[in-house]
Amino acid sequence: MMRIGKTILLAGAMALPLGSLALAQETGGGGGGAAASNVPIPTVGQPMLNNAASDSKNFLHTNGNYNQTRFHPANQITTGNVKNMHVAWIFQTDLRESMETSPIIVNGVMYVTTSFDHVYALNAQTGEQIWHYKHDMGPITVYCCGPNNRGAAVYGDKVYLATLDAKLVALDAKTGKPVWSVQIAEPSLGYSETMAPTVVDGKVLIGTNGGEYGIRGFVKAYDAADGKLLWTFNTIPESSVGVWAEKDATGRDMHRDIAAEKAQLEKTGDPYKTLGGGVWQNPSVDLATKRIYFVVGNPSPDLDGAIRPGDNLYTDSLVSVDLDTGKLACYFQYIAHDVWDLDATSPTVLVNVKDKGGKAVPGVLHAGKTGYIYVHDRKDCSLIRFSDPMVSQKDRWVLPSPTKPLDSDAARMFPGANGGVEWSPIATNPALSLAYAINLEQEMTYTVASAPYPEGKLWLGGAFTNVPGGVQAGNITAVDYDSGKIKWQVKTPQPMIGGILATAGGLVFAGESNGWFKAYDAKDGKPLWKFHAGAGVNAPPSSYMVGGKQYIVVAAGGNVQVDSKRGNSIIAFSLD
Amino acid sequence: MQQTAYRHPEVRVVRRASKDGRPERLGRTLRGPRSLSSGRPLRAGPVGGHLRVTVIAISFALLPAAAHSETIEEKAQVCAACHGENGVPPEQAFPVPVIWGQNLGYLFFQLRDFKSGARKNDVMSPLAEALPREDLMALAQYFSKKAWPKLQQPHPPADVAALAQRANASVVCTSCHQDGFVGAGTQPRLAGQERAYLEKTMTEFQSGARGNNPGMTDLMKSLTPQDVSALAAWLAAM
Repeated sequence: MMRIGKTILLAGAMALPLGSLALAQETGGGGGGAAASNVPIPTVGQPMLNNAASDSKNFLHTNGNYNQTRFHPANQITTGNVKNMHVAWIFQTDLRESMETSPIIVNGVMYVTTSFDHVYALNAQTGEQIWHYKHDMGPITVYCCGPNNRGAAVYGDKVYLATLDAKLVALDAKTGKPVWSVQIAEPSLGYSETMAPTVVDGKVLIGTNGGEYGIRGFVKAYDAADGKLLWTFNTIPESSVGVWAEKDATGRDMHRDIAAEKAQLEKTGDPYKTLGGGVWQNPSVDLATKRIYFVVGNPSPDLDGAIRPGDNLYTDSLVSVDLDTGKLACYFQYIAHDVWDLDATSPTVLVNVKDKGGKAVPGVLHAGKTGYIYVHDRKDCSLIRFSDPMVSQKDRWVLPSPTKPLDSDAARMFPGANGGVEWSPIATNPALSLAYAINLEQEMTYTVASAPYPEGKLWLGGAFTNVPGGVQAGNITAVDYDSGKIKWQVKTPQPMIGGILATAGGLVFAGESNGWFKAYDAKDGKPLWKFHAGAGVNAPPSSYMVGGKQYIVVAAGGNVQVDSKRGNSIIAFSLD
Repeated sequence: MQQTAYRHPEVRVVRRASKDGRPERLGRTLRGPRSLSSGRPLRAGPVGGHLRVTVIAISFALLPAAAHSETIEEKAQVCAACHGENGVPPEQAFPVPVIWGQNLGYLFFQLRDFKSGARKNDVMSPLAEALPREDLMALAQYFSKKAWPKLQQPHPPADVAALAQRANASVVCTSCHQDGFVGAGTQPRLAGQERAYLEKTMTEFQSGARGNNPGMTDLMKSLTPQDVSALAAWLAAM
């Protein structure tokens, strides 16, 4: 058993009461060989989680802190010295498949996840494995777009994970052994989990995938101690019809056939039971008001609006609910009766923003698949402004055409169904009032066909396909959220998916599908550093400090959605 | 531009060997399953629109009363007639998929759909109808745990492979069928599947003849017969 340096042990000991020393081990269904590593496994108290935004040592939440700013306060790596950054260590997981994990770092211990729901605890200074949990997957899993997992959550002496077979699992942080597990929903009906849980005030918050299946979406809160269900918020109310909105949030006419929809409503009633509305990204938490803010995904079936009349509330919406009760506080719908799969997915961010009169108010940001950053008033979810478009809007809102064999005139949509901004979390730099978003630009065709929900199989109500030889590109865009103006934009040769990180060193970090991982100047987008990871870097980076050194860490595992090259690496970088 | 559909070379692959290692002769009449509910031989209807195959009883008798006390291995014997005793489907008059090592959730969903009528097949439908849901799951588990057999299907020429890759880039088959087309859960493995079965399946999705996955039907409509043929050959050789 190898002993590691004293620094990390002392660092851990000074910060928090220790758990026991963890020895490298395998849990769950087993896995690859375990490296030896002795690291004190910390417990994580609520005050520590609350203070994450100013904690330069740790990265405690999927998106950095409860406000989800993805702004990390460590400032050792700067615009001046980032050119010297190099690999500190590489950890290779047992799975070579799409990686979307946000590494969580607590006092020198890192938790990462992989496709098919493996969890690894690593020594964050060396990359050595402490333990490995391999989820014992149930017989039926139903999910679109890859067997992804976006990460774990830490709270107390446990690590929380949500799985493809729609379970919420609490692991012992010291050993990786399951403590409890609950079934969130029935997988064969189209429910699955890929998001990381959010834990706050003893509650584990979790949404659901399933917007491409006939589900009814929700956010649920479970007791962190024992997995008891505390509340459920259904993202689709029993009255989902709404106000027959004809324009989207930016004022464009969506060409709805409202008379036909009303006739359908008369015939088949409210479609709420299979209307989709997944929540597959973490909510932000306003600790002052005890409210959470999240976005709700697309209606089901994605492209066929004919069989789901009405505005399809609360799909494609920003929603706020009370943390303690799960009761609705406010909502704002971006696209009523979406037939383009342009759902709201990129996680919400809580920052202070200027209102229309220029006064600073608590705000909420969301980056849409539409390619806009929307700025809201946190009080009532109302829209203050939307940004300049980050991608072309030339085909908005062309309706999908009926599915026909080999239809060369099928409706074109540019950009396509993935965005704009897909699930990729944005980052912010509060001193610059900038939000950083990564975008996809894919030329697609959209067609629509009606069919009843085929029991656990993909239910798109048509098809979207990439135009062969069509545009496949992307960009990184910095938007001033107080004015809505684009501050800078860097074009990328491939569609961007995975997320971005900003740091107090004046930097932003983002990976690309072609394997490059790059650092940019936060002020003007000047590229300052790059490293080729050998597989698609399509995951959000994290930052932390251990042993007095700042590290940047990112997964390079490729991505299912854009079919970038798969890999299995977690790569940490430091200055020396 | 008019393209000619890729015609795959007829390769005689000896799909089954008898115990002494010599190729087994396959008669014109195929051996096949017997109904689990009635014990009567199953009749396969018109296959491929032309051929009527009489499926005769397999060599051991399955009586309805005995069906409940059988182990899952015994029940699975009925499947071997078409799907192969060693997981390699023997040559027969209609394309039959590899089911050994296929993903559990997919096998279960297909058996469930044969039982419900969502997917129709003259051989499979009556078999699935006769079995309780637990048996469908047990059979799916049994076959999913077997090792996927290597059919040794030849690689298509480079231009055909390029056509297949172009079709995949448009449809993004891997977003459900995974990297390497090995599938997972309820998504089937396509890599190394029987070529003619792949082609038939995509074509039947396209026409709607196979109706238990409208998403596949819609996606396949964007492909030409050349694309489908190329994809089948490309995937089969993986």
